[in-house]
Amino acid sequence: MIRDFEYFAPKTLKEALTLLDKYQDECKVIAGGQSLLILMRQGLVAPQYLIDIKGLSELSYIKSDTKEGLKIGALTTHRAIEKSPLIRKKFSVLAEMERRLASIQTRNWGTIGGNLCHADPAGDPAPVLIALNATLSMASLKGERSMPVEDFCLDYFETALEVGELLTEIQLPATPPHTGTAYTKFNVIESDLATVGVAVSITLGAGDGVCQDIRIALGAAAPTPMRAKKAEAVLRGKKITDNLLKEAGEVASTGAEPISDIYASEGYRRELVRVLVTRVGKEALARAKQA
Amino acid sequence: MSQYSVIGTRVHRVDGLEKVTGSAKYTFDIVLPNMLYGKILRSPHPHAKILNIDTSQAEKLIGVKAVVTGKDTLGKKQGIWRRFPELCDEEILCREKVRYIGDPVAAVAAIDEDTAEEALDLIDVEYEPLPAVFDPMEAIKEDAPQIHDGVELNINVTRHIEWGDVDEAFKKCDHIREDQFKCSSQAHMCMETHDAVASYSYDGKLTVWTSTQSSYYIQRLLADILDLREGDIRVIKPPTGGGFGSKFELDSAQFCASVLSMKLCKPVKIVLTREEEFTATKRRTPMYYYLRLGAKKDGTLLAKEVRVITDGGAYTGMGATALYLTGFFSSFPYKYPNYRYDGYRVYTNTAPTSAMRGFGAPQSTFVGESQLDMMAEDLGIDPIELRRKNGMTPNYEVPGQAYIQSCGLHQCLDKIEEHIKQRGKLPPNHGIGIAAYGFMSGGIFNWFDTPYAFSAAIVRINIDGKVDLFTGACDIGQGSDTTLSMICAEELGVHLEDIRIYSGDTGICPADLGAWGSRETLMNGNAVKMAAADAKRQLLEFAGAKLGANIVYDMDIKDRWVHLVDRPERGVSYFDIVKEAIRGKDGEVIIGRGHYTPHRKGMISPAYSFGVQAAEVEVDPETGRYKLVNVTTAHESGTVINPVGIEGQLEGAIMMAGGYGFCEDQPMDEGKILNPSIADYKLIRSLDMPETKILEIDTYEPEGPFGAKEAGEGLTNPTAGAIANAVYKAVGVRINNLPITPEKVLRALREKQKQKR
Amino acid sequence: MKKELKLTVNGQPYELYVEPKTLLVQVLRDHLGLTGTKRGCNCSSCGACTVMLDGMAVKSCSILAMQANGTEVLTVEGLATGVQLHPLQEAFLDHGAFQCGFCTSGMLMSAKALLAENPKPTKEQIKEGIDGNMCRCTGYNSIIRAVTAVVKGEYKEEK
Repeated sequence: MIRDFEYFAPKTLKEALTLLDKYQDECKVIAGGQSLLILMRQGLVAPQYLIDIKGLSELSYIKSDTKEGLKIGALTTHRAIEKSPLIRKKFSVLAEMERRLASIQTRNWGTIGGNLCHADPAGDPAPVLIALNATLSMASLKGERSMPVEDFCLDYFETALEVGELLTEIQLPATPPHTGTAYTKFNVIESDLATVGVAVSITLGAGDGVCQDIRIALGAAAPTPMRAKKAEAVLRGKKITDNLLKEAGEVASTGAEPISDIYASEGYRRELVRVLVTRVGKEALARAKQA
Repeated sequence: MSQYSVIGTRVHRVDGLEKVTGSAKYTFDIVLPNMLYGKILRSPHPHAKILNIDTSQAEKLIGVKAVVTGKDTLGKKQGIWRRFPELCDEEILCREKVRYIGDPVAAVAAIDEDTAEEALDLIDVEYEPLPAVFDPMEAIKEDAPQIHDGVELNINVTRHIEWGDVDEAFKKCDHIREDQFKCSSQAHMCMETHDAVASYSYDGKLTVWTSTQSSYYIQRLLADILDLREGDIRVIKPPTGGGFGSKFELDSAQFCASVLSMKLCKPVKIVLTREEEFTATKRRTPMYYYLRLGAKKDGTLLAKEVRVITDGGAYTGMGATALYLTGFFSSFPYKYPNYRYDGYRVYTNTAPTSAMRGFGAPQSTFVGESQLDMMAEDLGIDPIELRRKNGMTPNYEVPGQAYIQSCGLHQCLDKIEEHIKQRGKLPPNHGIGIAAYGFMSGGIFNWFDTPYAFSAAIVRINIDGKVDLFTGACDIGQGSDTTLSMICAEELGVHLEDIRIYSGDTGICPADLGAWGSRETLMNGNAVKMAAADAKRQLLEFAGAKLGANIVYDMDIKDRWVHLVDRPERGVSYFDIVKEAIRGKDGEVIIGRGHYTPHRKGMISPAYSFGVQAAEVEVDPETGRYKLVNVTTAHESGTVINPVGIEGQLEGAIMMAGGYGFCEDQPMDEGKILNPSIADYKLIRSLDMPETKILEIDTYEPEGPFGAKEAGEGLTNPTAGAIANAVYKAVGVRINNLPITPEKVLRALREKQKQKR
Repeated sequence: MKKELKLTVNGQPYELYVEPKTLLVQVLRDHLGLTGTKRGCNCSSCGACTVMLDGMAVKSCSILAMQANGTEVLTVEGLATGVQLHPLQEAFLDHGAFQCGFCTSGMLMSAKALLAENPKPTKEQIKEGIDGNMCRCTGYNSIIRAVTAVVKGEYKEEK
């Protein structure tokens, strides 16, 4: 059951930050609440003060920036991202990922910011954003700061957000030419949480087909979403072949830190990393060639 | 043209309008004046002595009206196998000992749910944990902790079935296979959890509204445990959100709500949480199987030996039936000249295992059909041919056990064979596996020890021709209200909308054993048909006089027209006859009575339905993951009364049985279920559901109303076996323990690759 | 301390005072007596509590009532117009797209939301549309057939 709390629905970001500054770690922020309410109903989280920021429409937007990148407000819903013509055109992998995230009902109300702040290592958005080299911004009364998404998650359900800080925006840099990004998650039931998730982004050189840059991000393979940097090194600067993709998969598998739980053993998760890095890498390569 | 006017037609469910408009009031929705809300405190230990329970702090909490423990009850044990008192081993509110994590120890009634929940935290229970055992193979050892007093080696029930001479027969076989299997548990996952509103009045009468498969069983069991007269208890079944075998025993919500209400003389409502539903209600019986099968090289099956240990969990429940039926259905659907089954149900300190759709037959079909495919491969015989050679036929006697009248198994095999041929060449990594089954239409052995007929119905005809049908049969979603109304309308010769059904209310309906074992259509259908015929006879008495026909002519009613069968143009309106009949009988209400108990049909079932299912899977050999592409079922269930209902039952069965084979599981650690939530307990959803195809085979069952027999439970038998066989056909690995997960498939594929080198 | 909550449900405006911890589903069921919307789990997975909020399908057990302040909510009770059923309700009846009925309210709302957004969904999109709704009785295919029939125009257009 949910314990009683004092409730605030600030109308502006400034108001919200002021409340956060006032109540420090005695308060919790609720956006869509699709993750938080489950914890509160089960009595696992029981804040004295609840700051409801769902109404801050100023943080809900998807817009191009001057350099052809994209800015997404933290309170943008999953569904808005899934259906955005802009995102489908420029960052289609994000829309694909959203399409298999939980259910439509969850996506209609839950927000991308809320998802990232929940920091479930099996979450879908983080690996994709990491592969897209995304950054995010946080604000507090003291000011703003930014960091790469891949530095945001510190541990299971723990982020770099400090007391008094609110996630405000996610930034996607412009996609370099000849870049392809793909994401897949393994699960037994469609739309279920990832048993393992893999996102790969490959940028090819113009005309020579050499891998100029590559980013491999894994979900549910470690306490936080992780970059498989050693696996990337296998492919970076080389002409990508099937064998190299296989090798990258093996290196990623060895470097991952998956757990054993009731859904899969550690060994099986490693197998999945190996197979999926190769597969998703192939898909990303194909997309890069088309781009 | 059909000889029937109502049965066999596609109709709206009679409870459809209230369900699609959200106006159906389930127990979950009931709110009564002065109603209190209850919650149950449960044991966190798998096995422990209760030293002391201090409820004083909880009682002091503002809003709490009563706290009860086992000391507030009569200390009686109850169980659904009433015929055998030693199997009535569950007190529900434990007094001295708890035997599984979730065993109730106290209950609270308060002004709202939150207060009741808060009160639970204030109840102080002092336990002395005892050594516990979780594996039936361990529990059966000499040094295992004893779970119930006087039960040696924790062996709760044993069962032996035998005919012929199995040992001699094995000597004559050309080929013998020995295989072992493990069948997992499964959660019913009814959308409506167990719930009850109990209201005890000052004049000593108890009324209980509850989500149940048998209001009569609950009435009788409450009477036993509370020492009330059966007639002072009224159990009412509102629209019910699913049962699947979980809701015909007395459960903690019903019992605790009743005890609390009796203390306070106020209504008390208890709704189990989804977590309690997973951990503290009964579940499918896990089974360890050893099978030995012997055949001649031409494929004639000569002998089958089966040994099973079932994991009973902490109490008997309906587990004795599951033990028996799994042994009986291990011989289905083939003619074994020699057969032997030995089953042992063993207590463990886990959530009790009991009845779940299929009742031991999904397990026996999974293991039997897997082994049969393996035998077919060994002998070099086509799997359909092997089944054809040995399959049951109409009018077959299972030696000393049962007599099978109608049986369409062979037509089902033919249809499936045709389906597979039509499918043609399969893409790579695809495989089609088949499984055949047979299942009962209700059980005969009277383990409940009821003195009543197994089914009964009353028909009352009103002056305007509207018919009231009273029956104890319980519609839990499977559609018995509609099916029985259709049978009544057909027999009486009126339209479906002329029937109004009152069901599952012990206060006004005659007893029926309830919705389990797929019995309602055949057993209650027979009672309804008899009652309708009785009422019709009374009407025809007056029609005879009115029409003044020659004595050689028969009369009947069809489409609201009372007429001479051979001269249908000579007749009179049903509505007119009703008026005349009532007037002519001194204003007496026309009442028809019917009942049915199977006689001289053996001890198992009066009729059996059969089918063959083909499942097509597509396996990803790199991850072991597979998709259920298509499930095609050829089945026969006698005359189809309610076609929309049967289709729904079949597709729903595929979801449930497919889940049993594919993804549903309850992993445990030291008796604790690790995934007690819908997020963690994996179920097939709309995106995972395969394409389904139904191939209906026409048969006629003489024992059933208009020739009908079961459909709905038998259909949960074949899917796990069909999936196992399909995966083998697709990628050449066989998984002998459920569920067949991608990880198991991949592991098996790696093993296979290793062996090749 | 109770807070003021103003929302419209099935076209009717309401002014309530609720504890902030109250969930939208509790307002609908317990405060307004609209028991058509059900609850089947405690982890936002079953979808039995699905309603439409400002035109979107949402799980009412996973939304604080205060977040519905100023919004328009549609529940299953708002589908029919008097005794005139909504085409989806007619289709569900015709196709036997429900059995025990406990998931049906949520299922209908998800289907309505789907068609409101996309009047001509493909079969795959229909499956996606109801994937957040658990059903233990039907095996989903009859529900998909019912929605498909509505998409094909087999039922009168709603006003």
